[in-house]
Amino acid sequence: MKRQRVLFLKENYVLRVLKSFFLAGLFIIALLLILVHKIDISIVSGVSKGVMYISSPLMHIASLPAEGLSYGYKKIAEIMYIYEENERLRQENSELYLLKDRMRALQTENRIFKKLLHHIDVPQTISYTARVIAENDNAFSNSLLLYLGNAADFIKSGYAVVNSAGLIGRIDIVSGKYARVTLITDINSKIPVVSQKSRDRGILVGNNTRKMNLIFPPLMAELHKDDILVTSGAGGGLPPDIPVAKIKRAGVDTITAAPLFSPSELEIVKIIAYDVMPDKETAKELE
Amino acid sequence: MAETKNFCASIATYLTPPLSIILIDLLFYIPRSSDFWNFIRLVPFYTGIYFWSSQRSDAFNGITAFLLGIFADVMSANPLGINIMTFLCLYFLASRLSAYFNVKKFSYSWLLFALAIIIAMSFKFLITSVFNRMWVPINAATLELMLTITLYPLLASCYIWIERRYIHLEDRYEKI
Repeated sequence: MKRQRVLFLKENYVLRVLKSFFLAGLFIIALLLILVHKIDISIVSGVSKGVMYISSPLMHIASLPAEGLSYGYKKIAEIMYIYEENERLRQENSELYLLKDRMRALQTENRIFKKLLHHIDVPQTISYTARVIAENDNAFSNSLLLYLGNAADFIKSGYAVVNSAGLIGRIDIVSGKYARVTLITDINSKIPVVSQKSRDRGILVGNNTRKMNLIFPPLMAELHKDDILVTSGAGGGLPPDIPVAKIKRAGVDTITAAPLFSPSELEIVKIIAYDVMPDKETAKELE
Repeated sequence: MAETKNFCASIATYLTPPLSIILIDLLFYIPRSSDFWNFIRLVPFYTGIYFWSSQRSDAFNGITAFLLGIFADVMSANPLGINIMTFLCLYFLASRLSAYFNVKKFSYSWLLFALAIIIAMSFKFLITSVFNRMWVPINAATLELMLTITLYPLLASCYIWIERRYIHLEDRYEKI
């Protein structure tokens, strides 16, 4: 009897020790996953794709009632402000008519200049539309989940996602008919930009807020408040001249900019397929 | 027959906590149409993990916290591992606190939740900042933290309802 009790106590002790080591083991695995993520091994993206493949359809179903409510709310708001909106559109239309002729003249002039300079245009882009089904906008990450539908086969990681205001983010992972987008405001986002006016270059870095930082601007950069920053196309990842952000503060030490999109407006977005990077065979030939 | 029922009951017991957490969390991912609602951001994962690991430690363990971490990392575009570590930290704190304090009393549970979430979020704040070599904005993180602590009773009441509705461990033990 006495021996049995001793054995029982020992088993309990072993189990307790194992339990405490088990949690520590899980911690170590998590730490290893972070390190593996940093090295960028394909297993990590495989796990992410697998989890997204399962969770995205659930998310899509969950968002359907909210989508209906949002649609109803927007329709009511539209009806309420229909006269003001009509007046605003009339004014805008008259301004655009004036600009149209000026734009045609500039286009022709531009074509002649390009011909004279033997300018090579950027490749033509193809765009696809997608619906936003989930939004993750918090202090630690800013991302979106898109439903791609039949366009899923043509979408790759790295493609630009835009709306009517400008660049929103880049495709991060494509899994099934869904894609995850890293917003330009995310802490992991770094976009090469150029000032629309002065053509000064820099890298726009997100920090999970609506105040992004412009890093590595030239020493004598002529950047001012309300200047628009557009994609520079450097690196070939994004098409050039997509509006990205507006400068909010151009100080001596820091330059901050705000994105042009508002998170509440993100409903339907456009994905721009832009492939200027050579494929493996062409890259070898070029080498 | 009793064995089959027992088997189903144990499956339900282990699946109810993660499924309820995922379900409530998914609701917070739904896009909102106005800027005001966009401003209100909670961390429902923390509430769920704290609730289940402190109140029903028999139905929630480290593996569940680990799997929920993978799900959260994938859904939120965080580097894989950050949420896993945070959730394990929260699970550890919740299970330790429930062992030493009376978490069955709601006011104590709420207070201890505030303590646990402050430690867990500070931990996540540090890991994320180290990983990105850039400080995560503290204002936004604090706002999320305060909102989550304030609205804990609301989310906890959802979990209490789920627990009463779907987990009947006492009945199971009686039948055995």
